[in-house]
Amino acid sequence: MNRQRPHIAFATALLITLASVASLAQQPLDRTKAPTPGANPKLTVPAWTTQQLSNGATLIVSQRRGLPLVSFNITLVGGSNQFEPAGKRGVAALTASMLTEGTKSKTGDQLSDALQLLGTNINAGVGGEEGSIGFVSTRKNFDATLAILADMMLNSTFPADALDRLRARTLVNLTQAKDQPVAIGGQVFAKILYGADHPYGQRTTEASVKAITRDDVVAFSKTYFQPGRAIITVVGDVTPLSAKASVEKGLAAWTKGGEKPAFDYTKLPELQTAKIYLVDKPGAAQSVFNIGLPGPPRNTPDYFAIQVMNTILGGMFQSRLNANIREQKGYSYGVNSGFTYGKGPGAFRAGGSIFSGKTDAALVEFMKELNGIVGERPITDEEIKVAKDSLIQSLPQRFASVNATSNAITSLVVQGLPNDYYQTYANNIAAVTKEDLMRVAKRYVDIKHLAIVIVGDRAKIEEPLKATGIAPITHIDIEGNPVSGGSAPSSSN
Amino acid sequence: MTNRRRVLPALALVLTLCCALQPVWGQNGSANSISIPFETYKLPNGLTVILSVDHAVPTVAVNVWYHVGSKNEMPGRTGFAHLFEHVMFTGSGHIPYGTHDKLTEGVGGSNNGSTTNDRTNYYETIPSNYLESALWLESDRMGFLLDTLDLEKLNAQREVVKNERRQSYDNQPYGRVSEILAAAMYPKGHPYSWPVIGSMTDLSEASQEDVKAFFRLYYAPNNATLGVVGDFDPVIAKKLIARYFTDLPQGKTVERPSVALGKLEMSKRLVYEDAVQVPRLYIQWPTVGFKRDDDYPLSVMSSILSGSRTARLTKALVYDSQLASQVGAFQNSAEDVGVFQVTVVPRPEHTLTELEAAVDQVIQKFIAEGPTAEELQKAKSGLELSFLRALESNLGKANQLISGSMFYGNPGQFRTDYQKTLAVTAADVKRVAAMYLVRSRIVLSVVPKGKKDKASKAPESETVTMLPATPGGRS
Repeated sequence: MNRQRPHIAFATALLITLASVASLAQQPLDRTKAPTPGANPKLTVPAWTTQQLSNGATLIVSQRRGLPLVSFNITLVGGSNQFEPAGKRGVAALTASMLTEGTKSKTGDQLSDALQLLGTNINAGVGGEEGSIGFVSTRKNFDATLAILADMMLNSTFPADALDRLRARTLVNLTQAKDQPVAIGGQVFAKILYGADHPYGQRTTEASVKAITRDDVVAFSKTYFQPGRAIITVVGDVTPLSAKASVEKGLAAWTKGGEKPAFDYTKLPELQTAKIYLVDKPGAAQSVFNIGLPGPPRNTPDYFAIQVMNTILGGMFQSRLNANIREQKGYSYGVNSGFTYGKGPGAFRAGGSIFSGKTDAALVEFMKELNGIVGERPITDEEIKVAKDSLIQSLPQRFASVNATSNAITSLVVQGLPNDYYQTYANNIAAVTKEDLMRVAKRYVDIKHLAIVIVGDRAKIEEPLKATGIAPITHIDIEGNPVSGGSAPSSSN
Repeated sequence: MTNRRRVLPALALVLTLCCALQPVWGQNGSANSISIPFETYKLPNGLTVILSVDHAVPTVAVNVWYHVGSKNEMPGRTGFAHLFEHVMFTGSGHIPYGTHDKLTEGVGGSNNGSTTNDRTNYYETIPSNYLESALWLESDRMGFLLDTLDLEKLNAQREVVKNERRQSYDNQPYGRVSEILAAAMYPKGHPYSWPVIGSMTDLSEASQEDVKAFFRLYYAPNNATLGVVGDFDPVIAKKLIARYFTDLPQGKTVERPSVALGKLEMSKRLVYEDAVQVPRLYIQWPTVGFKRDDDYPLSVMSSILSGSRTARLTKALVYDSQLASQVGAFQNSAEDVGVFQVTVVPRPEHTLTELEAAVDQVIQKFIAEGPTAEELQKAKSGLELSFLRALESNLGKANQLISGSMFYGNPGQFRTDYQKTLAVTAADVKRVAAMYLVRSRIVLSVVPKGKKDKASKAPESETVTMLPATPGGRS
């Protein structure tokens, strides 16, 4: 495939030239006619090699000529949902931050100074189902930066006073999030959909952060940063050979251990009939909407059909939701919809921030579009064409930088997708039929079981919402717990 | 900066703390790695064109900048330049509403516009076979926007912009700070004294006639620069540009009255009550805009004061004394004016009064001794990498080339910026610290409602009252 690339690129260039010249020959200019585009450029997916290192880690290398840049990333399969002990939500993020606080041979200040002089930065973070530590550097500073990364990952000393400082910062951030209606909406939505027992419904709280000890951090670090669950991705100005040599040398002290975790999630709470969950935010200028329910995991065979369906519903600017609620009605600066994909049942969510005075009217329109996509407003051939074109032709953007390319390749391995995923993507999208779209819309946009979470000024919006008759209203606080009585406006601040 | 589409909330937060309108000065490293090949020329109607070829990915960025921003508005019509940006997406003489999105996002590309105090821009990123479509779209709205503009379109976008204001400012903790600071920094009527988003009242007032007059003056080809960057054949691109843009008539020359730098006769101490639980302290000194050479040492100074854990303010306040949970310092510069700003988020057990004293102590020491050689070196070491990374994006390159062309008459200005930044000495930084950070300044405390006593030096602080977000949907 590599060998064909120059040939294809040449053929494409020729087609474009011919098409454009044809258009240039037309005289005079008719501005009412959209220019005819030439043939779509052929997608060139970067090639990569996969090797197994002696410590059990997988090494992926993709050479990219041009700029003297290297992207290096260690991805760890499994995240806070698999590795955080009960009651210690937040230990993963704190441990990642603690990696910058000093090693056996360097203080935190010395690590920071060394990285500044190399002109780069090492980023470490742990999400729900995967974590990563990595950097982008110039070619000439690659080995030196990798040496610092290895030192941070393997020799951190986790000083107790640093933990106290980072804990204090986390607590300030949690307090600030309580003022942020969008943050509140996201947290409450997750809690309603998944409940407190499912990892997807849990989050870092004041109590969990306060409960974390230095021993917890040390234990998490030992358990988590293991090569047996690691995918090391190097993209840029390197060869598979030189990258392997650098990595074997730089990570020589990282010895065998660990494995990929199982992703066994507890059962979801039983689906509830559709309800409006209202969180009071007195004086709010806007109401923050999150509407949805748990959806399928990433490996669902319905993935491609869902992507096309969602693009029509709310994935683009001119999708049904935004075209109606923002562009035609002017109720919002922007609304959208999407599916969160992972190993477990990620959420379908539609939402946005709505002018308080139009909260009821906007809910009516949201429901109209959701009911529309499941059948009341049939999907047209034109909508399907635009959605498919948009998805297929945006693929080159996934390879627009060393970092983007690294993410694109790594995600295939993490999600267990085939190596030729990008080469077959266009065909898989093209194969989606109108019947598929109807079926996945009905199945995943399950109108009867939608949770409608609205964060807004209860005094202003409750009566109008009630009058829509769309669903009964339940009052909850910013933690997602029922407000007792449910009649007096709560004071959440 | 204010956009047609949304800015991610996470990004917005980073911006408020660290580096709102700072121009991209992360420009390069080893002298030979810094290069963006380009060519530039002018059409007879005054349109400046910049082309830069890069075949790495089969996409093209088309980017048009107009040299008009919120500073060109009249008092009483604030927010107009940005409202206008929205109107530019509602269709034009030969192209119905919706076509623009269909020929960009609908074919796997993207589009957006943005407005600052100084300029308004519009861009499309498209698969390379849609270059001609993008030129067709941009030329039609440059030449024929008014043909199909009506009050209904204007009103619909007016409501969207009001919602943008509610979402990004009014319903946002600390969201009105930039507005308060601008109004305090500049005299009434000064072109930088109002926010780009404008006031709710003014947005309601903008008439169709205002839109038309604004368009005729500022959206003429002689006030615009077109950049095309990415995978294309320059010979064909030039022919297409000539075909679509040559017949657009030249407009009047835009007058550019000189704008006075910010200058405070006396320091101001303000307190604003917001729907927040954590107070914040903002300190602003008037400095210079990005066209003055002092902007380079001021920018270098910002990364010596904050950004890394060994930066002066960060080390002193976040790590050593632990009075603060976060601190940011940055030189925020526009075409004509600039400010140096320090923002501090306290730890719960510490007061803003303590924080202000701690900031002052660090700054006094810095003024007295200037930066060390290592501090200076650290501040410059990241330049090469950030420049190389910016080269990975067609759109990023287009913005650099056009910005240089529009504000300096030189698309290759990024190279000058890079060289001048590398040339900054310890003495330069010490000089600008001693010159600007001793000036009369604004100290703004944002405190929870009913907690004015939490302000820094509360008894001396003057209360700021802001009009509440005006209710009222479209009529």
